[in-house]
Amino acid sequence: MTKKVVFIILILLLMVSFVVSLCLGQMDIPVKTTFLAFTNFFGLTSEINVLTEEQAAVLYNIRIPRALIAILAGAALAITGAVMQGLFSNPLADPSLIGLSSGASLGAVIAIVTGLTAYGMFYMPMLAFLFALLSVSLTIFLAMKDKKIPPMMLLLAGVSVSIFIAAITSGILTFTNEHNIREFLFWTVGGLDYRRWEHVYLAFPPIIIGITMLCLLARHINVLSMGETEAAAIGVPVFKLRLLLLFIASFTTAAAVSVSGSIGFVGLVVPHIMRLILGPEHRLLLPSSALFGAVFLLLCDILSRVVIAPMELRVGITTALIGAPYFLYLLKRAQKEGLF
Amino acid sequence: MNKEILNVKDLAVKKQNREILENINISVKEGEFIGIIGANGAGKSTLLRSLANQEKDFSGTVKLFNKDISLYKEKEFAKHVAYMQQDLQISFGYSVLDIVLMGRYPYLAWWQHEQKEDKEIAAKYLEFADVEELKDRKINQVSGGERKRVLLAKILTQETKIIYLDEPISDLDLSYQEEVFNYLHSICKLGKTILVVVHDLEIAAKFCSRLILLNKGSIIADGTPAEVITKEYLRKAFNLDSIVYPNKITGDLAIHTYLKKNFQINKKVHLIGSGDTLSGLVNVLYELGCSLSAGVIFEDTIDYLVLKAFQIDCLKEISAEISAEMSRQNIEKIQAADLTVLGNLKFTMQNISNLKDAFQAKKLIIIEDDDIENRDFTNGEAVKLYRDLVARDNVEVWNLKKFLIKIEHFLQNT
Repeated sequence: MTKKVVFIILILLLMVSFVVSLCLGQMDIPVKTTFLAFTNFFGLTSEINVLTEEQAAVLYNIRIPRALIAILAGAALAITGAVMQGLFSNPLADPSLIGLSSGASLGAVIAIVTGLTAYGMFYMPMLAFLFALLSVSLTIFLAMKDKKIPPMMLLLAGVSVSIFIAAITSGILTFTNEHNIREFLFWTVGGLDYRRWEHVYLAFPPIIIGITMLCLLARHINVLSMGETEAAAIGVPVFKLRLLLLFIASFTTAAAVSVSGSIGFVGLVVPHIMRLILGPEHRLLLPSSALFGAVFLLLCDILSRVVIAPMELRVGITTALIGAPYFLYLLKRAQKEGLF
Repeated sequence: MNKEILNVKDLAVKKQNREILENINISVKEGEFIGIIGANGAGKSTLLRSLANQEKDFSGTVKLFNKDISLYKEKEFAKHVAYMQQDLQISFGYSVLDIVLMGRYPYLAWWQHEQKEDKEIAAKYLEFADVEELKDRKINQVSGGERKRVLLAKILTQETKIIYLDEPISDLDLSYQEEVFNYLHSICKLGKTILVVVHDLEIAAKFCSRLILLNKGSIIADGTPAEVITKEYLRKAFNLDSIVYPNKITGDLAIHTYLKKNFQINKKVHLIGSGDTLSGLVNVLYELGCSLSAGVIFEDTIDYLVLKAFQIDCLKEISAEISAEMSRQNIEKIQAADLTVLGNLKFTMQNISNLKDAFQAKKLIIIEDDDIENRDFTNGEAVKLYRDLVARDNVEVWNLKKFLIKIEHFLQNT
């Protein structure tokens, strides 16, 4: 399969899953209707009364922002997973391992218990974003020595910071009421329900900027993934570049986590699949992971909506239920091939 | 006189309060092919890493083209110096071509991709390193030796004036070891300068124009291979006893190393040989600490070269036939020896006196690998003498294999 074909398939998959995600749900909207609504919107057709008022409201206010958030968050989580793995020459690295998710959770909890959430829907994502970046910075600061960030140290510092921050979060939750805990619980298992256009506006700029920058720097991630010594030997400013990439990746992930809650395994599973198909070259891996991450999260969201309808699963549960076994399968396979 | 390109002054590296390197002073001139040798832990790799600007805590100055290496921008430095580390773990399955192209990194702006000419340069060195047909294979699916050659292609693709290599041949087949050094030798002639950490002393001596011998973090010898590879320095640096001699066949410096036994057999052993009959056993007797003599040996034989390499007191015959005087001296030495060893020689009228002299031995071991009848070119005279000799009480007849196994035990018990 040539590389171009892979990308074309990914783009087609993205379009199809986007449309399907708009049609399915508690209220089914026929594919044809959705399609016509689109062509109308872009001025290609001019049929009248394609959608009922109710359908239009559901589509515009609920399903489109939800699908867009799925695309943005999926792309962001997948690409930053791939970047982290390359950055630390470790196929098991993930942004959540360096304290990002726990930091975001703490931010969310603070927003909930202080009652900030009541004043406006921006407060919680903003605080989550802020604390995510803070905890990553703390991890990096702790792991850094002599202008070097040894990967193993970073991952271990990340684990410590995560546990520490999670303890603070739990501590705060101990003193709060049941309603708040329930609100928080919903946040820790990421979900895409009740996402609105405001969330899209909030997440769109940082994620698009992040993805673009990471794709532009992809060649540098190739050389960094060869390890510190090798990278330095061919003239890579290892420390500066790592710091820059860490920052962009954290920034992008934090933007995603702040609107969707923490959704696990996308950053591990998606890059792995793409690496199997396209190889480790980051100039191909990063854009393809972003595309497939978007597709993956959209599909998981569709599944979450239909599998126990009329109830809904949180999408974070679905990704974990699919992701964890698949990831284990990949590991076992890699082990058989002698890659580990 | 070539110009100096690298100057190391008072370099020292200290880690966890342990001196890894101290008081290192080196001046490297353009086109030199320098081998860094020394025992494990002598600081060879650390030295190379320091010169490659990869060692952060060192004191002293390292100047490249008269500019302190810490003042170089990363890419600028990488255009001057390529460095190949000893073991490289690659976590991802990049293709061989991808890896080699990474050598072009210093030449690309941050937003650029590899251009056509970069790919041509990479192709050139892939071909040189004989890994061209592997270029689409994944790096973690090629053998250790192939991997080394891929990495060699990569640092050559970097096209630098100076190349540092940390044990580039450690996983390579013998044929590639020579080939790699041959190539390095030839690119040195074109003006490149190479510093290589190498374990194999003979290869180092054969190809390098200069050797730096490290011992416990300091330079103990620095000079031409003949100046550095000596019995004394090798003992000091490697705690090894050795024989260093010019190999007559190749003209290279050959090194025979051995561990001195903690006991020494102080026996006098006299060797009788001719042609190529002693080469397998001289070193064994030498290493056991025997005091050796030999005779009468024709000058143009392998036996003579071997004995000379071990600097053994040897009666040498330069004419075509052993003279009576030589034979007399031979008998003197045989009589003085505790043991005489007669090699598996072919007997002619010119050397039959050696066989006659052997009758004077206090104790005699005859090496017999071929039947005497096939070694007699004297119309039966040698056969007759030989049979008389074998019949004596103080004579043992062994083949070479048995000799090598039993001699130590034999000498201890006589």
